[in-house]
Amino acid sequence: RVKMSVVSCLRSGTNLLKNVSSPARCLFMIQREMGGHGPRKMVITPSRWQWHKFKDMLHFYFMLGVIPLGTLVFLVNIFIGPAKLSPIPEGYIPKNWEYYPHPISRFLARYLYTSHQQDYEKYLHFMYEEKEKQQMRLLEKKIRTLMAERGDSQAMFYRPILTKYHRYVREEYDRLEHTTGPTI
Amino acid sequence: GGSGKMDSNTPKNAFNSFVDALVNLVDAPTTWFRETIVAKNRPEYYWYHRQFRRVPTIDECYTDDYVCYIEANEQFKRDKMVDNEVLNILRQRQEDCVLFEGHDHVRKCAKLREEYEKAAENWFIKYGDLGAYGNVRDAYMKQKHRMIWERRHGPVGSGMKDQLD
Repeated sequence: RVKMSVVSCLRSGTNLLKNVSSPARCLFMIQREMGGHGPRKMVITPSRWQWHKFKDMLHFYFMLGVIPLGTLVFLVNIFIGPAKLSPIPEGYIPKNWEYYPHPISRFLARYLYTSHQQDYEKYLHFMYEEKEKQQMRLLEKKIRTLMAERGDSQAMFYRPILTKYHRYVREEYDRLEHTTGPTI
Repeated sequence: GGSGKMDSNTPKNAFNSFVDALVNLVDAPTTWFRETIVAKNRPEYYWYHRQFRRVPTIDECYTDDYVCYIEANEQFKRDKMVDNEVLNILRQRQEDCVLFEGHDHVRKCAKLREEYEKAAENWFIKYGDLGAYGNVRDAYMKQKHRMIWERRHGPVGSGMKDQLD
């Protein structure tokens, strides 16, 4: 009975008048009405269209990735499943993708990634080349310090005396002396 | 309930059967699903653990052979990881024994304790005090310095003798 009054109060205002005869009910309903939603109004708010559109697009593009990839991962995990760990058979060298348990990791290792062995060998070669360059640079530095110290080689720290420019200057001086006379 | 065990725990009383029912509420559908998808032949294929060949150690490398040093360093780091785990296992054994025996552990766990202490001492001789960036060259030099010290002063722990005698 209590619930029904509340519902009838909330749904429409006209039904209130039916129960005016009993005063207890009136009071009860009046009390409830104060806690009710009141007459329907049109609320003027700024547009939330952009926010709703943003959520919609976010949801759409997120699901565009999640649904295919999710189904793929789900099916792979169920119908292919992870590999079983076993000791390496005698005389057999496993391929580089056979070191991973999950089928997707195996696929990536097989077709997309470089193998550990390849990376390792490239790294060792790179280190070897850099070490060679370092040795040559150290040697050059040592030689240069010795040359600077001893000063006995014409390769570096040697400034040749060019007389070309002295000759030019002297020619100019002679010409000037010829035309204008001696300075002293 | 007996969800994890393979042997069937037949419920002995109402509480057991109630708990079993609760567990099976989640367990039975998942088990059924698993059985039906495992029955749908999953291919049987294997994966392996990577095994590294033994390469020349640092004492077999020339001084200007950097690649040899790199490989020896990688091997050193792998061996250090293995030794760490071995020491962990010995320590766990000793601690489990101590926990189990209680007050008798001094007498009953003496052998395990001695094994662990010896292994820890050897680990420290080889890997200790090298720091976070310690490499195989540092470990090798540490060994060399220890041997020189032992040549001059006798075994480690017997005190320093007078030099130049």
